[in-house]
Amino acid sequence: MFRMDKNDHAAIQAVLAGDKDAYGALVVRHSHILFRVAYRITGNEADADDVVQEAFLRGYRKLEGFESRANFGTWIYRIAVHCALDKVQHRRRVEANLAGRVGDTNDPELDQLQVADQAAGPDRLLLSGEIGSMQEAALHSLTATERTAFVLRHMEDRTTAEIGAALGIEPNAAKQAVFRAVRKLRRRLAPLRVAT
Amino acid sequence: MHVTEEEMIGQVYGEGNWAAVERHLDDCPECAEAFAKLQRDLAEVDQVVAPARDAQYGERVWAAIADSLPVYAREKKKRWWESGLYKGLSYATACALLVACAFYAGQLWEQHKQPGIAAVKQMPVPQQTKQQPIVVVVLGDHLDRSERFLVQLKHADLDSTAMASPMRDEARSLLAANKVCRKNAAQSDDKELTTALDHLDSLLADAANTPGGLNSQSIARLQDEMNREGVLFEVRVLRSRVTHRAGTGDIPAKGGTI
Repeated sequence: MFRMDKNDHAAIQAVLAGDKDAYGALVVRHSHILFRVAYRITGNEADADDVVQEAFLRGYRKLEGFESRANFGTWIYRIAVHCALDKVQHRRRVEANLAGRVGDTNDPELDQLQVADQAAGPDRLLLSGEIGSMQEAALHSLTATERTAFVLRHMEDRTTAEIGAALGIEPNAAKQAVFRAVRKLRRRLAPLRVAT
Repeated sequence: MHVTEEEMIGQVYGEGNWAAVERHLDDCPECAEAFAKLQRDLAEVDQVVAPARDAQYGERVWAAIADSLPVYAREKKKRWWESGLYKGLSYATACALLVACAFYAGQLWEQHKQPGIAAVKQMPVPQQTKQQPIVVVVLGDHLDRSERFLVQLKHADLDSTAMASPMRDEARSLLAANKVCRKNAAQSDDKELTTALDHLDSLLADAANTPGGLNSQSIARLQDEMNREGVLFEVRVLRSRVTHRAGTGDIPAKGGTI
Protein backbone atom coordinates (compact mmCIF):
# COMPACT_ATOMS: atom_id res chain seq x y z
CA MET A 1 0.00 0.00 0.00
CA PHE A 2 2.82 2.38 0.83
CA ARG A 3 5.57 3.29 -1.58
CA MET A 4 8.96 4.19 -0.20
CA ASP A 5 9.33 7.72 -1.39
CA LYS A 6 12.85 8.81 -2.19
CA ASN A 7 11.98 11.99 -0.39
CA ASP A 8 11.22 9.94 2.74
CA HIS A 9 14.65 8.35 2.64
CA ALA A 10 16.38 11.67 2.04
CA ALA A 11 14.44 13.28 4.85
CA ILE A 12 15.39 10.50 7.26
CA GLN A 13 19.07 10.88 6.38
CA ALA A 14 18.81 14.61 6.89
CA VAL A 15 17.18 14.16 10.29
CA LEU A 16 19.85 11.71 11.41
CA ALA A 17 22.49 14.17 10.19
CA GLY A 18 21.11 16.80 12.55
CA ASP A 19 18.43 18.52 10.48
CA LYS A 20 15.44 18.18 12.77
CA ASP A 21 13.13 20.19 10.51
CA ALA A 22 13.43 17.56 7.80
CA TYR A 23 11.18 15.39 9.94
CA GLY A 24 8.43 17.95 9.40
CA ALA A 25 8.12 16.88 5.79
CA LEU A 26 7.55 13.28 6.87
CA VAL A 27 4.93 14.39 9.39
CA VAL A 28 3.04 16.43 6.81
CA ARG A 29 3.20 13.62 4.27
CA HIS A 30 1.86 10.82 6.50
CA SER A 31 -0.38 12.58 9.04
CA HIS A 32 -3.67 12.03 7.22
CA ILE A 33 -3.23 8.30 6.87
CA LEU A 34 -2.28 7.98 10.50
CA PHE A 35 -5.24 10.04 11.60
CA ARG A 36 -7.63 7.88 9.61
CA VAL A 37 -6.49 4.58 11.13
CA ALA A 38 -6.15 6.14 14.56
CA TYR A 39 -9.72 7.39 14.44
CA ARG A 40 -11.06 4.05 13.26
CA ILE A 41 -9.33 2.26 16.12
CA THR A 42 -10.07 4.75 18.86
CA GLY A 43 -13.43 6.00 17.58
CA ASN A 44 -12.65 9.44 18.93
CA GLU A 45 -11.21 12.51 17.19
CA ALA A 46 -9.30 13.84 20.15
CA ASP A 47 -7.79 10.46 20.87
CA ALA A 48 -6.92 10.07 17.20
CA ASP A 49 -5.10 13.42 17.21
CA ASP A 50 -3.17 12.36 20.29
CA VAL A 51 -2.30 9.08 18.64
CA VAL A 52 -0.95 10.82 15.53
CA GLN A 53 1.32 13.05 17.59
CA GLU A 54 2.47 10.22 19.83
CA ALA A 55 3.23 8.04 16.81
CA PHE A 56 5.43 10.68 15.22
CA LEU A 57 7.19 11.32 18.52
CA ARG A 58 7.94 7.61 18.99
CA GLY A 59 9.02 7.36 15.38
CA TYR A 60 11.48 10.21 15.80
CA ARG A 61 13.04 8.61 18.88
CA LYS A 62 13.38 5.26 17.10
CA LEU A 63 14.53 6.72 13.80
CA GLU A 64 18.12 5.55 14.31
CA GLY A 65 16.84 1.96 14.38
CA PHE A 66 14.84 2.39 11.19
CA GLU A 67 16.23 0.22 8.39
CA SER A 68 16.83 2.20 5.25
CA ARG A 69 15.41 -0.57 3.06
CA ALA A 70 12.07 -0.50 4.92
CA ASN A 71 9.14 1.68 4.01
CA PHE A 72 8.75 4.63 6.32
CA GLY A 73 5.00 4.81 5.67
CA THR A 74 4.47 1.19 6.72
CA TRP A 75 6.80 1.62 9.66
CA ILE A 76 5.12 4.73 11.06
CA TYR A 77 1.70 3.18 10.34
CA ARG A 78 2.52 0.23 12.60
CA ILE A 79 3.70 2.60 15.30
CA ALA A 80 0.41 4.47 15.02
CA VAL A 81 -1.56 1.23 15.35
CA HIS A 82 0.40 0.42 18.52
CA CYS A 83 -0.26 3.88 19.89
CA ALA A 84 -3.97 3.62 19.09
CA LEU A 85 -4.19 0.21 20.73
CA ASP A 86 -2.46 1.60 23.81
CA LYS A 87 -4.88 4.50 23.80
CA VAL A 88 -7.95 2.28 23.67
CA GLN A 89 -6.64 -0.01 26.38
CA HIS A 90 -5.76 2.93 28.59
CA ARG A 91 -9.15 4.53 28.07
CA ARG A 92 -10.92 1.31 28.96
CA ARG A 93 -8.88 0.90 32.12
CA VAL A 94 -9.86 4.43 33.13
CA GLU A 95 -13.49 3.66 32.38
CA ALA A 96 -13.30 0.47 34.39
CA ASN A 97 -11.74 2.27 37.34
CA LEU A 98 -14.35 5.02 37.08
CA ALA A 99 -17.13 2.43 37.00
CA GLY A 100 -15.66 0.82 40.11
CA ARG A 101 -15.54 4.12 41.95
CA VAL A 102 -19.07 4.98 40.82
CA GLY A 103 -20.31 1.74 42.31
CA ASP A 104 -18.92 2.85 45.65
CA THR A 105 -20.62 6.26 45.72
CA ASN A 106 -24.13 7.61 46.02
CA ASP A 107 -23.72 10.26 43.31
CA PRO A 108 -26.78 9.91 40.99
CA GLU A 109 -24.94 11.44 38.02
CA LEU A 110 -22.15 8.96 38.28
CA ASP A 111 -24.64 6.15 38.74
CA GLN A 112 -26.42 7.25 35.59
CA LEU A 113 -23.10 7.28 33.72
CA GLN A 114 -22.37 3.82 35.02
CA VAL A 115 -25.73 2.50 33.84
CA ALA A 116 -25.34 4.12 30.45
CA ASP A 117 -21.89 2.62 30.04
CA GLN A 118 -22.78 -0.88 31.13
CA ALA A 119 -26.27 -1.32 29.74
CA ALA A 120 -25.73 -0.66 26.07
CA GLY A 121 -29.25 -1.34 24.92
CA PRO A 122 -30.08 -0.36 21.29
CA ASP A 123 -32.70 2.24 22.19
CA ARG A 124 -30.39 3.94 24.68
CA LEU A 125 -27.45 3.94 22.32
CA LEU A 126 -29.44 5.45 19.49
CA LEU A 127 -30.23 8.36 21.78
CA SER A 128 -26.67 8.78 22.91
CA GLY A 129 -24.95 11.77 21.37
CA GLU A 130 -21.62 10.67 22.76
CA ILE A 131 -21.31 7.41 20.92
CA GLY A 132 -23.22 8.55 17.88
CA SER A 133 -24.15 5.37 16.12
CA MET A 134 -25.07 1.78 16.65
CA GLN A 135 -22.07 0.65 14.68
CA GLU A 136 -19.72 2.61 16.84
CA ALA A 137 -21.35 1.11 19.89
CA ALA A 138 -20.88 -2.33 18.44
CA LEU A 139 -17.22 -1.61 17.79
CA HIS A 140 -16.93 -0.28 21.29
CA SER A 141 -18.05 -3.64 22.62
CA LEU A 142 -15.00 -5.35 21.16
CA THR A 143 -11.76 -5.80 23.01
CA ALA A 144 -8.98 -3.43 21.99
CA THR A 145 -7.19 -6.14 20.06
CA GLU A 146 -10.38 -7.36 18.35
CA ARG A 147 -11.35 -3.86 17.37
CA THR A 148 -7.91 -3.06 16.01
CA ALA A 149 -7.72 -6.33 14.09
CA PHE A 150 -11.18 -5.78 12.64
CA VAL A 151 -10.48 -2.18 11.65
CA LEU A 152 -7.24 -3.16 9.93
CA ARG A 153 -8.90 -6.08 8.12
CA HIS A 154 -12.29 -4.62 7.28
CA MET A 155 -11.56 -0.92 6.82
CA GLU A 156 -7.86 -0.67 6.11
CA ASP A 157 -7.82 -3.79 3.92
CA ARG A 158 -4.76 -5.25 5.60
CA THR A 159 -3.87 -8.92 5.37
CA THR A 160 -3.78 -11.05 8.48
CA ALA A 161 0.00 -11.15 8.19
CA GLU A 162 0.17 -7.36 8.24
CA ILE A 163 -2.27 -7.22 11.12
CA GLY A 164 -0.20 -9.72 13.06
CA ALA A 165 2.93 -7.67 12.43
CA ALA A 166 1.23 -4.47 13.50
CA LEU A 167 -0.17 -5.98 16.67
CA GLY A 168 2.90 -8.07 17.45
CA ILE A 169 0.98 -11.38 17.29
CA GLU A 170 0.98 -14.43 15.01
CA PRO A 171 -1.04 -14.17 11.77
CA ASN A 172 -3.36 -16.97 12.88
CA ALA A 173 -4.04 -15.16 16.14
CA ALA A 174 -4.80 -12.04 14.13
CA LYS A 175 -7.20 -14.06 11.96
CA GLN A 176 -9.01 -15.43 15.02
CA ALA A 177 -9.26 -11.93 16.44
CA VAL A 178 -10.97 -10.79 13.22
CA PHE A 179 -13.40 -13.73 13.36
CA ARG A 180 -14.32 -13.05 16.97
CA ALA A 181 -14.84 -9.37 16.17
CA VAL A 182 -17.20 -10.14 13.29
CA ARG A 183 -19.29 -12.54 15.37
CA LYS A 184 -19.60 -10.01 18.20
CA LEU A 185 -20.50 -7.21 15.81
CA ARG A 186 -23.22 -9.26 14.15
CA ARG A 187 -24.76 -10.11 17.48
CA ARG A 188 -24.66 -6.44 18.53
CA LEU A 189 -26.08 -5.22 15.25
CA ALA A 190 -28.87 -7.83 15.04
CA PRO A 191 -31.41 -5.74 17.05
CA LEU A 192 -30.78 -2.78 14.77
CA ARG A 193 -31.72 -4.84 11.70
CA VAL A 194 -34.90 -6.03 13.38
CA ALA A 195 -35.85 -2.45 14.20
CA THR A 196 -35.31 -1.25 10.67
CA MET B 1 -22.06 -30.26 4.90
CA HIS B 2 -22.65 -26.52 5.14
CA VAL B 3 -20.10 -23.75 5.23
CA THR B 4 -19.21 -22.53 8.72
CA GLU B 5 -19.43 -18.90 9.78
CA GLU B 6 -15.68 -18.80 10.05
CA GLU B 7 -15.32 -20.00 6.46
CA MET B 8 -17.85 -17.41 5.32
CA ILE B 9 -15.95 -14.64 7.06
CA GLY B 10 -12.77 -15.85 5.36
CA GLN B 11 -14.66 -15.84 2.09
CA VAL B 12 -15.66 -12.19 2.58
CA TYR B 13 -12.03 -11.21 3.05
CA GLY B 14 -10.68 -13.55 0.37
CA GLU B 15 -8.90 -15.88 2.76
CA GLY B 16 -8.98 -19.65 3.25
CA ASN B 17 -10.26 -22.15 0.68
CA TRP B 18 -11.97 -19.52 -1.37
CA ALA B 19 -12.79 -21.60 -4.50
CA ALA B 20 -14.33 -24.55 -2.59
CA VAL B 21 -16.52 -22.25 -0.49
CA GLU B 22 -17.70 -20.42 -3.59
CA ARG B 23 -18.70 -23.68 -5.27
CA HIS B 24 -20.69 -24.68 -2.20
CA LEU B 25 -22.44 -21.34 -2.07
CA ASP B 26 -23.51 -21.82 -5.70
CA ASP B 27 -25.03 -25.19 -4.86
CA CYS B 28 -26.49 -24.47 -1.41
CA PRO B 29 -29.23 -21.78 -1.20
CA GLU B 30 -29.25 -21.95 2.60
CA CYS B 31 -25.55 -21.12 2.86
CA ALA B 32 -25.84 -18.56 0.09
CA GLU B 33 -28.53 -16.74 2.06
CA ALA B 34 -26.42 -16.82 5.23
CA PHE B 35 -23.46 -15.50 3.29
CA ALA B 36 -25.52 -12.64 1.83
CA LYS B 37 -26.70 -11.76 5.32
CA LEU B 38 -23.12 -11.67 6.55
CA GLN B 39 -22.12 -9.35 3.74
CA ARG B 40 -25.00 -6.99 4.59
CA ASP B 41 -24.02 -6.90 8.24
CA LEU B 42 -20.42 -6.08 7.45
CA ALA B 43 -21.45 -3.49 4.90
CA GLU B 44 -23.25 -1.58 7.62
CA VAL B 45 -20.02 -1.29 9.58
CA ASP B 46 -18.47 0.43 6.61
CA GLN B 47 -20.52 3.48 7.47
CA VAL B 48 -17.98 4.40 10.15
CA VAL B 49 -15.95 7.07 8.38
CA ALA B 50 -13.12 9.09 9.82
CA PRO B 51 -13.74 12.85 9.89
CA ALA B 52 -11.86 14.79 7.24
CA ARG B 53 -8.76 16.77 8.12
CA ASP B 54 -7.74 19.83 6.14
CA ALA B 55 -4.54 20.22 4.14
CA GLN B 56 -2.78 22.00 7.01
CA TYR B 57 -3.36 19.16 9.42
CA GLY B 58 0.13 17.71 8.99
CA GLU B 59 1.72 21.10 9.58
CA ARG B 60 -0.27 21.53 12.77
CA VAL B 61 0.87 18.12 13.98
CA TRP B 62 4.46 19.10 13.24
CA ALA B 63 4.08 22.40 15.01
CA ALA B 64 2.72 20.59 18.05
CA ILE B 65 5.64 18.18 18.40
CA ALA B 66 8.59 20.01 16.87
CA ASP B 67 9.69 21.73 20.07
CA SER B 68 9.82 18.50 22.03
CA LEU B 69 12.13 16.72 19.58
CA PRO B 70 15.86 16.71 20.26
CA VAL B 71 18.34 17.24 17.44
CA TYR B 72 20.27 14.17 16.38
CA ALA B 73 23.98 14.73 16.89
CA ARG B 74 25.86 15.36 13.67
CA GLU B 75 28.53 12.80 12.86
CA LYS B 76 31.94 14.26 13.63
CA LYS B 77 34.97 13.63 11.50
CA LYS B 78 37.47 11.66 13.48
CA ARG B 79 40.76 13.38 14.11
CA TRP B 80 44.03 11.52 13.93
CA TRP B 81 44.28 11.11 17.70
CA GLU B 82 40.82 9.54 17.74
CA SER B 83 41.86 6.84 15.30
CA GLY B 84 42.12 3.21 16.30
CA LEU B 85 45.88 3.06 15.66
CA TYR B 86 46.59 5.96 17.98
CA LYS B 87 44.39 4.48 20.67
CA GLY B 88 46.15 1.13 20.31
CA LEU B 89 49.57 2.73 20.66
CA SER B 90 48.38 4.66 23.67
CA TYR B 91 47.19 1.51 25.37
CA ALA B 92 50.49 -0.26 24.58
CA THR B 93 52.54 2.62 25.99
CA ALA B 94 50.43 2.75 29.10
CA CYS B 95 50.87 -0.98 29.63
CA ALA B 96 54.66 -0.72 29.18
CA LEU B 97 54.85 2.12 31.71
CA LEU B 98 52.79 0.14 34.14
CA VAL B 99 55.08 -2.89 33.87
CA ALA B 100 58.19 -0.69 34.33
CA CYS B 101 56.73 0.97 37.40
CA ALA B 102 55.77 -2.40 38.86
CA PHE B 103 59.32 -3.70 38.29
CA TYR B 104 60.90 -0.65 39.92
CA ALA B 105 58.49 -0.82 42.84
CA GLY B 106 59.32 -4.48 43.29
CA GLN B 107 63.03 -3.69 43.52
CA LEU B 108 62.42 -0.98 46.08
CA TRP B 109 60.27 -3.33 48.05
CA GLU B 110 62.95 -6.03 48.11
CA GLN B 111 65.53 -3.51 49.37
CA HIS B 112 63.09 -2.33 51.98
CA LYS B 113 62.49 -5.88 53.16
CA GLN B 114 66.26 -6.74 53.51
CA PRO B 115 67.97 -3.62 54.92
CA GLY B 116 70.67 -5.66 56.79
CA ILE B 117 71.86 -7.40 53.68
CA ALA B 118 71.82 -4.20 51.76
CA ALA B 119 73.82 -2.43 54.44
CA VAL B 120 76.43 -5.17 54.54
CA LYS B 121 76.75 -5.04 50.80
CA GLN B 122 77.27 -1.33 50.92
CA MET B 123 79.83 -1.35 53.75
CA PRO B 124 83.33 -0.36 52.62
CA VAL B 125 85.91 -3.10 52.76
CA PRO B 126 88.76 -2.28 55.20
CA GLN B 127 91.96 -1.31 53.48
CA GLN B 128 94.01 -3.95 55.29
CA THR B 129 91.82 -6.84 54.27
CA LYS B 130 92.03 -5.70 50.69
CA GLN B 131 95.78 -6.15 50.75
CA GLN B 132 96.06 -9.46 52.67
CA PRO B 133 93.98 -12.60 52.47
CA ILE B 134 92.20 -13.39 55.65
CA VAL B 135 93.10 -16.74 57.14
CA VAL B 136 91.35 -17.66 60.26
CA VAL B 137 92.86 -20.48 62.13
CA VAL B 138 91.26 -21.91 65.12
CA LEU B 139 94.17 -22.70 67.43
CA GLY B 140 92.18 -25.15 69.50
CA ASP B 141 91.09 -27.08 66.43
CA HIS B 142 94.66 -27.06 65.13
CA LEU B 143 95.97 -28.49 68.36
CA ASP B 144 93.24 -31.13 68.38
CA ARG B 145 94.09 -32.22 64.87
CA SER B 146 97.78 -32.17 65.69
CA GLU B 147 97.25 -34.31 68.78
CA ARG B 148 95.29 -36.87 66.76
CA PHE B 149 98.03 -36.91 64.13
CA LEU B 150 100.72 -37.45 66.75
CA VAL B 151 98.77 -40.21 68.44
CA GLN B 152 98.30 -41.88 65.07
CA LEU B 153 102.00 -41.51 64.39
CA LYS B 154 102.91 -42.91 67.79
CA HIS B 155 100.85 -46.04 67.27
CA ALA B 156 101.57 -46.48 63.59
CA ASP B 157 102.23 -50.06 62.45
CA LEU B 158 105.75 -50.15 61.12
CA ASP B 159 105.03 -53.26 59.02
CA SER B 160 102.18 -51.69 57.14
CA THR B 161 102.40 -48.70 54.85
CA ALA B 162 98.66 -48.43 54.26
CA MET B 163 98.39 -45.26 56.33
CA ALA B 164 101.60 -43.73 55.02
CA SER B 165 100.04 -41.66 52.30
CA PRO B 166 97.06 -40.27 54.31
CA MET B 167 99.40 -39.37 57.15
CA ARG B 168 101.69 -37.47 54.82
CA ASP B 169 98.73 -35.52 53.42
CA GLU B 170 97.52 -34.72 56.91
CA ALA B 171 101.03 -33.62 57.85
CA ARG B 172 101.12 -31.21 54.94
CA SER B 173 97.75 -29.74 55.86
CA LEU B 174 98.75 -29.34 59.49
CA LEU B 175 102.08 -27.82 58.48
CA ALA B 176 100.36 -24.96 56.67
CA ALA B 177 98.06 -24.26 59.59
CA ASN B 178 100.90 -24.53 62.03
CA LYS B 179 102.86 -21.81 60.24
CA VAL B 180 99.96 -19.44 60.74
CA CYS B 181 99.71 -20.28 64.41
CA ARG B 182 103.47 -19.88 64.86
CA LYS B 183 103.49 -16.46 63.30
CA ASN B 184 100.56 -15.34 65.39
CA ALA B 185 102.20 -16.71 68.53
CA ALA B 186 105.41 -14.88 67.69
CA GLN B 187 103.51 -11.62 67.22
CA SER B 188 101.74 -12.06 70.52
CA ASP B 189 105.08 -12.82 72.19
CA ASP B 190 103.85 -16.16 73.60
CA LYS B 191 107.19 -17.99 73.95
CA GLU B 192 105.81 -21.21 75.37
CA LEU B 193 103.37 -21.53 72.50
CA THR B 194 106.00 -20.52 69.99
CA THR B 195 108.46 -23.14 71.21
CA ALA B 196 105.88 -25.89 71.16
CA LEU B 197 104.69 -24.93 67.69
CA ASP B 198 108.36 -24.88 66.51
CA HIS B 199 108.82 -28.44 67.64
CA LEU B 200 105.56 -29.42 65.98
CA ASP B 201 106.61 -27.60 62.83
CA SER B 202 109.86 -29.51 62.61
CA LEU B 203 108.09 -32.83 63.04
CA LEU B 204 105.34 -32.02 60.54
CA ALA B 205 107.91 -30.78 58.01
CA ASP B 206 109.80 -34.08 58.26
CA ALA B 207 106.56 -36.08 57.87
CA ALA B 208 105.36 -34.00 54.94
CA ASN B 209 108.62 -33.78 53.05
CA THR B 210 110.36 -37.10 53.65
CA PRO B 211 112.01 -38.09 50.37
CA GLY B 212 110.33 -41.20 48.95
CA GLY B 213 107.31 -40.85 51.23
CA LEU B 214 106.64 -42.34 54.63
CA ASN B 215 107.84 -45.83 55.24
CA SER B 216 108.71 -47.95 58.25
CA GLN B 217 112.09 -46.33 58.66
CA SER B 218 110.90 -42.77 58.35
CA ILE B 219 107.95 -43.46 60.65
CA ALA B 220 110.31 -44.98 63.21
CA ARG B 221 112.53 -41.95 62.93
CA LEU B 222 109.58 -39.62 63.37
CA GLN B 223 108.39 -41.59 66.39
CA ASP B 224 111.81 -41.29 67.91
CA GLU B 225 111.94 -37.56 67.24
CA MET B 226 108.40 -37.04 68.63
CA ASN B 227 109.30 -38.90 71.83
CA ARG B 228 112.59 -37.15 72.16
CA GLU B 229 111.16 -33.69 71.86
CA GLY B 230 108.06 -34.52 73.88
CA VAL B 231 105.92 -32.97 71.14
CA LEU B 232 102.77 -34.88 71.96
CA PHE B 233 103.02 -33.85 75.60
CA GLU B 234 103.51 -30.20 74.68
CA VAL B 235 100.55 -30.25 72.31
CA ARG B 236 98.29 -31.75 74.96
CA VAL B 237 99.39 -29.14 77.53
CA LEU B 238 98.79 -26.32 75.07
CA ARG B 239 95.41 -27.69 74.07
CA SER B 240 94.24 -27.87 77.66
CA ARG B 241 95.55 -24.38 78.27
CA VAL B 242 93.87 -22.95 75.22
CA THR B 243 90.62 -24.66 76.13
CA HIS B 244 90.79 -23.20 79.62
CA ARG B 245 91.65 -19.67 78.50
CA ALA B 246 89.00 -19.75 75.82
CA GLY B 247 86.50 -20.70 78.51
CA THR B 248 87.59 -17.72 80.66
CA GLY B 249 87.66 -15.35 77.70
CA ASP B 250 91.36 -14.51 77.92
CA ILE B 251 92.03 -15.43 74.33
CA PRO B 252 89.72 -15.75 71.42
CA ALA B 253 88.82 -19.21 70.29
CA LYS B 254 90.12 -18.31 66.90
CA GLY B 255 93.86 -18.44 66.70
CA GLY B 256 95.03 -15.60 64.54
CA THR B 257 94.97 -13.78 61.28
CA ILE B 258 97.48 -12.94 58.66
